[in-house]
Amino acid sequence: MDLELARLARNGDESAFEEILRRYSPRVFHVASRFFRERSQVEEAAQEVFLKAFTELGKFEGRGSMEGWLTRIATNTCLNMLRSSKRRPELTAADLNEEQSDWLESKMAQGALERHQASERSAVAADLAGRVLQTLSPDDQLVLTMIDGEDSPVREVVEATGWSESKVKVTAFRARRRMREAVEKLLRR
Amino acid sequence: MSDQHIISLLEERPFSELSENELSAIRAHVSTCDDCSRQCDAAQISALLLTQRAAATFGPSPFFHTRVMATLRERESASQPWAWTRVWRAAGALASSMVLTVAALGALTFAIPGSAETALVQDIAANSYSAEEVIFNQAEIADEKVSDGQILKSLYGVEEEAGK
Repeated sequence: MDLELARLARNGDESAFEEILRRYSPRVFHVASRFFRERSQVEEAAQEVFLKAFTELGKFEGRGSMEGWLTRIATNTCLNMLRSSKRRPELTAADLNEEQSDWLESKMAQGALERHQASERSAVAADLAGRVLQTLSPDDQLVLTMIDGEDSPVREVVEATGWSESKVKVTAFRARRRMREAVEKLLRR
Repeated sequence: MSDQHIISLLEERPFSELSENELSAIRAHVSTCDDCSRQCDAAQISALLLTQRAAATFGPSPFFHTRVMATLRERESASQPWAWTRVWRAAGALASSMVLTVAALGALTFAIPGSAETALVQDIAANSYSAEEVIFNQAEIADEKVSDGQILKSLYGVEEEAGK
């Protein structure tokens, strides 16, 4: 069915491509959200992904799922967009706003090794996480968000990026250290 | 457990994947080691931040599909051969015809009058005769069949008549 949709869209059937958009845009948005903090950036990235996918429809041979194919295009497109943008400088405690400082303090006041399973949603924490991640490389951001944030298996990162399993593991190992060091700087007062 | 061991435990796997035994070992160690305690705090907060970050995702807005399709149509129409290529070809033909016209006018103005003048001068030079040529090259002047007497008469006749 996906292959047929791709064939029809390639031959100029607009409704076929609209169907692809309808089916897979939530997935592409999910992938783009791993990389960007603002809705406008996510939308821009998602649009770029679909425009790229349209020009490469001929390469989709239906061996894997279209969702997987689009995930890979989305991951690589977002990685390239992030690579071409300037990386944010180091973040210090002085750069945090009041809400973010309060959130950190409240977490520090909780008992050691008890809070990592906290399930509450916090927009402040999500924003702070985005700011810390922006000080890391795009590769580090992706691996940490997928493996540590979403609990994705290494295999899923391999499929999304096309990297080797060992590269994913080594990147994750180093990225955890860098993230920890970045957070440690915020805790120093 | 050494400091290095604690750090490597924190970096090998996501914090949420540490077993209860590993957490107990870490607890025991950080209670006596300030440096590891700080790093452990940072690792926990990192893990929490990443979980919160992963949960914050966006979905497509209601106009997203329309916008993508509009951009796609725009790009497709811009890449059609009848658009720019045709304008470019028409402009090229116009420019070529203008260049040819200017070249032709230039040739008419400078090249042809110059050659006509030269040809006229050469023609005059070729058709003019001196008195000596008329006298000594009579045979070559085929179309003017005059006798020596007539020539002498034309040359000196006036003087002779005057002498009489």
